[in-house]
Amino acid sequence: MKKAIQLDPADNVATLLVDAVKGDEIEIISTNNQVIDLVTCLQAITFGNKVALTDIAAQQLITKASYPVGVAIKAIPRGELAHVQNVRSQRLDIPDNIIQEIIKQMRIEQA
Amino acid sequence: MMNSFIGFGRTDGSVGIRNHVLIMAVDECCDGIARAIADSIDNGIVVTNYNTCMYGGNEEMINTMIHTGNNPNVAGVLVLAMGCGSIDPEIVAAPIRETGRPAFSLVCMKQQGTRATINQGKELAQQLQQAAQDAPRVEKPISELIIGVKCGGSDTSSGIASNPSVGRAVDTLVDMGATAIAGELIELVGCESILRQRAVSTEVADKLERLIHQEEARWHVDGAEVETMSIGNSVGGLTTLEEKSFGALSKTGTRAIQDVLQINHLVHEKPTTAGFYLSEATHLCGSAGMHFAALGAHLILWTTGGAGFNNPIVPVIRVSGNQYLLNEDIDIDASGIMRAEEGVESVAERIVAKVSKVAQGQQTNIEEIGYSYCSLYQKDQRLETVLRFKPGC
Repeated sequence: MKKAIQLDPADNVATLLVDAVKGDEIEIISTNNQVIDLVTCLQAITFGNKVALTDIAAQQLITKASYPVGVAIKAIPRGELAHVQNVRSQRLDIPDNIIQEIIKQMRIEQA
Repeated sequence: MMNSFIGFGRTDGSVGIRNHVLIMAVDECCDGIARAIADSIDNGIVVTNYNTCMYGGNEEMINTMIHTGNNPNVAGVLVLAMGCGSIDPEIVAAPIRETGRPAFSLVCMKQQGTRATINQGKELAQQLQQAAQDAPRVEKPISELIIGVKCGGSDTSSGIASNPSVGRAVDTLVDMGATAIAGELIELVGCESILRQRAVSTEVADKLERLIHQEEARWHVDGAEVETMSIGNSVGGLTTLEEKSFGALSKTGTRAIQDVLQINHLVHEKPTTAGFYLSEATHLCGSAGMHFAALGAHLILWTTGGAGFNNPIVPVIRVSGNQYLLNEDIDIDASGIMRAEEGVESVAERIVAKVSKVAQGQQTNIEEIGYSYCSLYQKDQRLETVLRFKPGC
């Protein structure tokens, strides 16, 4: 079973520990390796990227390891990739042209 | 694990874990001469100022050259200049000599040309090599080490595996009495309130908040679209600077922050007591290696996805938690954490054991082969003046 790790119980994202494709069911584990949830990926998510564990509304904070790491710029359904196409920094944004390059290089599927 | 190492005693009281001779070119025109001279000895390392041969406004970088010459791993220094620029090589050599280290200088135009300078330089380099061989052997406890802490080529595994492991190892080393110094203030943007709580005093808390704010402002000037995260960072899974920051923060451990060491044209602050420090060492890897050398670090703990950064003056212990990028460059494999097979505590113990071995002379995986340029960095002095960050302005 493919796994993703939720670093803090309050986090609304988990980090993929392997590459996943659309439709994959992912075991969400805690930092002490307990399976705590099962999430279906709505799109391809590569190793190291984050999957939404809940339906996240626009303007809601993304929390990872209990810290606010960014803000959603659109609704992110449970199972979607939370990344540069739908999350922004609250402090210092990546320039737009670089975001486009990241989306292109990662071949992020967008709805 | 051994608790002590036999190091090379220096006249200023410091003890190195390596015994290098630096051949420094204060202008790029002397780089070839410096390399020809360095090739004639066993332990020669070239440091070249590629930025400018002008003096005014570049004192910060020259400070870094001087303090790198004073690193405990350095036995002696030969400083070269072409002679047509503004930087007198004695500006660098004289303060190094004041510490009791042998330090010579040569000016190519005064030496009747390149070949004559190389020949003269080789003779001086031989003397420096002899001085290195004559350095007294001194036994010191591992606790007297100064350790630089840096990340580079970070990806998502850094925040989950290698950074927390290095953080735990840093806590252990600091508890043993060692000194650890982290830098890259731009990567601590967003972490200010957590860091304030670790500062030993309100003054240090205010200083760190001010210096982080200044570093953020430098990299965020309108019209200059500077990458504070690389595309590689993002493809690896990091979405925002805050995410990178919180991941980076964990490599600093949890101990009290004694001070934030400033690097500028007036001062190159050094640790005054053992413990954990932040510093203005840059996030740019090659230049950070030189900043840590100038801060007096004996070695660097470097977390990465899988890259092989090296600095020839200060041994670099590379830690990676990315099993897909692990290769023979990596000294510590933390990927077991990513597979839920090994804990942070256990990896941290292996890191501390490796620090001990490297201090006792064991080579890191690419110490002899992975030469990185000794990049000399300074903050843009015109920008410092415009932003009114320059001390004295």
